[in-house]
Amino acid sequence: MSARYGMVIDLDRCTGCGSCMVSCAAENNVPVLPKASARTGITPMLVRRVSNHMAGADHREVFFPILCMHCEHETPCVRVCPQQAVEVDQATGIVMQMPQRCLGCRYCMTACPYHARYFNWWDPGWPSGMEKSLNPGVAVRMRGVVEKCNLCHARLHAAKERAAAAGKREIDPTDYVPACVEACPTQAIRFGDLAEKNDPVSEEAKSPDAFRLLVRLGTEPKVYYKSKEKWVRALAQSNGGRSMEAEHV
Amino acid sequence: MKVTRRDLFVWGAGAAAGLVFSPVPWKLLDDTSIWSQNWPWIPQPARSPVEVKQSFCSLCPQGCALKVRMAGGWPIGVAGVSTSPVTRGALCPLGYGAHQLNWHPRRLQAVRHKESVSSWGAAQTAFAKACGEGPVIVIDGYPGRAASSILEAFAEKRGSYRVALSPELGALAPYERWSGVPANALGYDLENARTIVSGAPMLDGWGSPGRFTRLWAESAAGAKDPQLRLIQIEDSFSRTGSRAWQSVRIRSGSESALAAGLAHVLLDERLVPARGPIPRLTLADAAAQAGISEDAIRELARTMVERRPTLVISNDENPQVAALNVLLAATGARGGIVRRTKGTRHLPADAVNLNARAILIDAKVPWNFTPETDAEIFRFAAWDDGTSKSDWLLPAPGFLEELTDIPAAPTSAIETYAVAPALSKPRFEVQSAAQFLGNLDPSLGTTEKLIHGRCNGLFRERKGTLYGAARVPLEKFDSVQKVEEQLWKGAIWTGDPPSVGGWRCELKEWPQDPEKLRSRDWASEWPAAVLPPLAVKLYQESTLREAPERRNA
Repeated sequence: MSARYGMVIDLDRCTGCGSCMVSCAAENNVPVLPKASARTGITPMLVRRVSNHMAGADHREVFFPILCMHCEHETPCVRVCPQQAVEVDQATGIVMQMPQRCLGCRYCMTACPYHARYFNWWDPGWPSGMEKSLNPGVAVRMRGVVEKCNLCHARLHAAKERAAAAGKREIDPTDYVPACVEACPTQAIRFGDLAEKNDPVSEEAKSPDAFRLLVRLGTEPKVYYKSKEKWVRALAQSNGGRSMEAEHV
Repeated sequence: MKVTRRDLFVWGAGAAAGLVFSPVPWKLLDDTSIWSQNWPWIPQPARSPVEVKQSFCSLCPQGCALKVRMAGGWPIGVAGVSTSPVTRGALCPLGYGAHQLNWHPRRLQAVRHKESVSSWGAAQTAFAKACGEGPVIVIDGYPGRAASSILEAFAEKRGSYRVALSPELGALAPYERWSGVPANALGYDLENARTIVSGAPMLDGWGSPGRFTRLWAESAAGAKDPQLRLIQIEDSFSRTGSRAWQSVRIRSGSESALAAGLAHVLLDERLVPARGPIPRLTLADAAAQAGISEDAIRELARTMVERRPTLVISNDENPQVAALNVLLAATGARGGIVRRTKGTRHLPADAVNLNARAILIDAKVPWNFTPETDAEIFRFAAWDDGTSKSDWLLPAPGFLEELTDIPAAPTSAIETYAVAPALSKPRFEVQSAAQFLGNLDPSLGTTEKLIHGRCNGLFRERKGTLYGAARVPLEKFDSVQKVEEQLWKGAIWTGDPPSVGGWRCELKEWPQDPEKLRSRDWASEWPAAVLPPLAVKLYQESTLREAPERRNA
């Protein structure tokens, strides 16, 4: 039985500390780019701060961690890629990006309704010697290709290798946790197999407070959000979640 | 069959047209792009087996437990340790990029004397000469370590030992004056408080990252009527304010006035059992200064005592805010400010009035501490942002390059002890301030010896619990070697929970003239001169945080 890895992000628990962003970049050898800005930087995990636009005591804010939603159905980026550089791994449900095949046409960036894809505008670079601090399990991506969250696929490989070394066919679920999940100090980001009925994350995704972004597109994203705040759920549903872009402060 | 020139042209044109519809040009384009994108000078990660070791972060006094992945002798990634009873798997966002700090271009690689390269020998000679000519002040930024004992022992012989107070420790300083109990012996019993009124960035860099954030997530996040009420009072709408149960905006610098106003209401309406001195500032004046109405202050005071125990935490040293805890009977009480240990009183290091022949500043003193003095300054630092006014800049060990012990964090309610072994070797000659002084005076001993002595002390007392691979009471260990072995592998010792009572504060008069509060955030309190390079994700490649006003961030 194939897994369907996904996340439930409890927005009520997120403090916007940014630990997920930094740990993601460290794990995946995302380069430090002195010229990069909010538009040109590479942030496979990006925390957005949004508000309810009310004044005074009614003012409320929430932090939305945005990453690749790993769309299950008619995945937009997969459908438009002329190079077959993006595919949904049938064994895990992870939307995989293969930089070696990518031509850098950026159709996938245009097609992604969540703006969760990033283009490598520059050659990857680190201050002299800092390459020794890079993660040997993840290859450095070249200039001119698109990249995105792959749910720390290198960690899944490592977990599979450990399972194989122990003579097991299946990985231990606790052995595969993406970097952002591991780093979250409030445990707002939870990760698991949505296809597994007994997985706590699978159960949490069915909570009445859980929702997904842009559900109306029918792409079946595998990243769920959760909030008890009505205005947060309303914001995510209004205008199909696109209003978050405008709310981004 | 005769091949004509015309046939050759037709064949050539056909081949050219056919080629366009074949995969060849696309493959060529693809290969060319891949080739041109993979220049040999593009850095590649070193291929070597990865091993995981445990240690502790010593960049700031919170001393978070670390799971460090190492490859080829270098740290390649850090994460929190979920079994740590203090940090519970959390780190600050800067900590996740700390393993790259040792490669930062601003890493101090050689001894510098007045902007020119010098040598350790010259620095040693100059310091020895200064010691012979007059008193020396040694300033520590992370008291309680074995290295601190060396600094203190040296300073007692030659001058005086001072401590640069962290804002968390500064907030506890008024209680030291009122009760005589050292500030470093006190901590906050956050776990048992039901209302926390705060002006500090509680969810944004205050205390151990894993302690309050996890507590807040478990007992406050998202609930309309939470078990723990966090009331955030500040002049701007911070991240903590955005997630607090209630957020109150006041004018900048009016925290003391608001505290006086709240004290008026607490006493006038008999909301607190204690009788205390009445502030001179009237409620009306307090409201005017804070920029909120008298009714809002009354309502706030009533909300504060609705769910008890109530604990008030200030951003920095503020006697009037601290006095509220005395009125609320939160000193020496469950859910309030507790005494975890005996503690030691230290002279605080003020940036002015430092009269000495020389001042030695330890690498753990925050970089923004710049003494205004005529004394010759010997500053230890692992990174240099170019703004130091020091006469001597001495390269100190960087991240995980030094053996150190980790005493309890300044806000901790329980006593803790851990050892952070050096996991990687420095690439050039570095010395800690303790090593430097130990070279001058070998009778001071070494950090390693002192740590061994402290482990021995723990073993002899046989109190508390050691959290390593398993949770084991210390009394079950039969030799100090086994205790030490566990500590060196990343275990943490925790003492028994503090007993409430045993100390109390009394106010004879309402305190006056508070220190002006500093604005604090995650970056302003970062003790190193530089931020980890990956912090750019937070303030440059996202709009999550404002760019810190630091030259080389």
